Amino acid sequence: MKNTKFLIQAAIIAAIYATLTIVLMPFSYGVMQVRVSEALTILPFFTPAAIPGLFIGCLVANMVGPYGLMDMVLGSAATLLAAVFSYYLRSKPLLVPLPPVITNGIMIGCMLYYAYSVPLPLIACILWVAAGQLIACYLIGYPLLRILKKYKKIFELH
Amino acid sequence: MQIEVKNLTHIYSEGMPYETVALTDISFEIDKGEFVGIIGHTGSGKSTLIQHLNGLIKPKSGSILIDGVDITGKDVKMRDIRRQIGLVFQYPEYQLFEETVHKDVAFGPLNLGLTQEEADNRVVEAIRLVGLSYDEIADRSPFELSGGQKRRVAIAGVIAMKPQILILDEPTAGLDPKAHGDILQMIERIHEVQQNSIILVSHNMGDIAKLADKVLVMDRGKLALTGTPAEVFRQSDLLESLGLGLPPATFMMRVLESKGIQVSTDILTIEGAEEELYRILTRGKN
Amino acid sequence: MIRDITLGQFYPGNSWIHRLDARIKIIWTFVYIISLFLIQSFWGYIPVLVTLGLIIGVSGVPLKFILKGLKPIFLIIVFTFTVNMFMTKGTPLIEIGFLTITEEGLYNAAFMGTRLVLLIIGSSLLTLVTKPINLTDGIEKLLSPWQKLGLPAHELAMMMTIALRFIPTLLEETDKIMKAQMARGADFESGNILNRAKSLIPLLVPLFISAFRIAQDLAMAMEARCYRGGSHRTRMNGMKLKKKDGAAVILMLLYLAVVISQAQGLFGRFI
Repeated sequence: MKNTKFLIQAAIIAAIYATLTIVLMPFSYGVMQVRVSEALTILPFFTPAAIPGLFIGCLVANMVGPYGLMDMVLGSAATLLAAVFSYYLRSKPLLVPLPPVITNGIMIGCMLYYAYSVPLPLIACILWVAAGQLIACYLIGYPLLRILKKYKKIFELH
Repeated sequence: MQIEVKNLTHIYSEGMPYETVALTDISFEIDKGEFVGIIGHTGSGKSTLIQHLNGLIKPKSGSILIDGVDITGKDVKMRDIRRQIGLVFQYPEYQLFEETVHKDVAFGPLNLGLTQEEADNRVVEAIRLVGLSYDEIADRSPFELSGGQKRRVAIAGVIAMKPQILILDEPTAGLDPKAHGDILQMIERIHEVQQNSIILVSHNMGDIAKLADKVLVMDRGKLALTGTPAEVFRQSDLLESLGLGLPPATFMMRVLESKGIQVSTDILTIEGAEEELYRILTRGKN
Repeated sequence: MIRDITLGQFYPGNSWIHRLDARIKIIWTFVYIISLFLIQSFWGYIPVLVTLGLIIGVSGVPLKFILKGLKPIFLIIVFTFTVNMFMTKGTPLIEIGFLTITEEGLYNAAFMGTRLVLLIIGSSLLTLVTKPINLTDGIEKLLSPWQKLGLPAHELAMMMTIALRFIPTLLEETDKIMKAQMARGADFESGNILNRAKSLIPLLVPLFISAFRIAQDLAMAMEARCYRGGSHRTRMNGMKLKKKDGAAVILMLLYLAVVISQAQGLFGRFI
């Protein structure tokens, strides 16, 4: 079912996601959480392998970074959900970066409010995370999508 | 002198369980316009050393003076350093990213603050200098090109910045013999035209013997030997113990000598070997 | 530059904790996190602190590393603490200008703050004492019962393993690309968000191309070795539960029992 190439593509996307999260560390794990690697959430535009790829990438990035189990589970779930929606929106490039903004905003926002007891109204937590995502997904992700469109060949699973 | 390195020491991952000493107490000088070769076995610190020279890595201790200015100092602007010192990494074609060859080569000059017009001129010059046809290549995507062409474009991207010191890390890695020779000729040409100092890191002793004015031999983070190619390659036993070979011509002369034939072993190039052999073979006839 | 980043949080060691089965450690962490939310009062933190202290002590991980895990969220902790302290209504204790610190505020701040700290320490402990590769195996084993329901646990685990294997390679690539572009005058460090975002393109495009090139090579190599996926593959090191894992489970249940009974006020008679 999932042939080897698909699997490896997904694995490489995961590795890129995790690598970028690590490399740009000060950004990724701080309060602002502008995870540049979230720009990669545009990848479902190019290949469905990005759906498991981003999910695993998020999982691995959290394994390798200091946030711990909760972020691992919730963050990865949010990323997975977003990737599925992005894939279904791939006919409208401008909307592709939107799902991760929403899912992460809501899910991580709730985590901050309920689990971390951040003393701000729930809506503030959600918007705070969504803002960070907006920067990563639209300011970096969307231009990246435009440029990568020209190199579409590399995503082909011959 | 143009470059003066004093007691350079560098340690990776200091304080962590994986601490490694990369460079120990390295000192040397390079004069303006010199062609310097750096040789050493893998892991001897060559790459680490050259990354210090253009400020990508800061040393733990020691100083690097370029035209009298210590670039390890705090107030030094990286942009000014990179204006003067260009570094071409191994397999430089992997740094290509722009939509067209012209735009990619223009990346460096534009980063230096040149106007678009100035940058465009530099691009044309640089592409010609690396032996490619500007008109054929300028508007194509770098990813459509052959491996050899890509490499030249990548090198063009660096020389378009007109650095006074050009460092090349194994520019012929992975190339077939013809392409190897072409790139070497290209480097000679650049040296002539741009009148800069060249630092060439290579595993190819023949190239170094042919082109270098001075050779630095690295071994496990230390500078084991310096001198002219003739001086350095005379010390075949030492080089062998360092895991290094000799230029093919020199090696052949030594083999002949060990078989009892009276040849001069101070030979560095194929042409020199040819002359020497001719001399010996015609000696009997006179 | 990048070489100085140690991959993962793993602190090498051979302690009893290190050698526990990864599955047990994962479940333990879940239990621990849940237990923190059951606690109603400061007394409840005592069994937590004792247990945590024991675990950290046995594992041999220096306190320095444990506290490092708090750095990224330090600001959140301070923020939570301060806001709780000043904003909770109740009986005033100290007045500073127009800001009042109430009794309830102080209590709340301390309580929430402690919970947050314990939460982060506990969850980062998992990655400190478990190698990523073992974590991956553990996750795969834990998810494999769901394989029958259609969850491709094996494939996901394979992706994780491959991803982990390639992170160091890609880190090196990224390092090389960054340095090559920096040598051409690229600046990844200064400027506002917009500039920095733009400056990442010369990094991301070559990285992608390199990464996919590696992927192609790997795909060929795997196929050449007849990899066909699927859960019929056997393992070289099977994961077997040992006596120490059983002991760990018992301790976990004990811990849970103490925390729950404290929360229910069953200790009220002794205090």
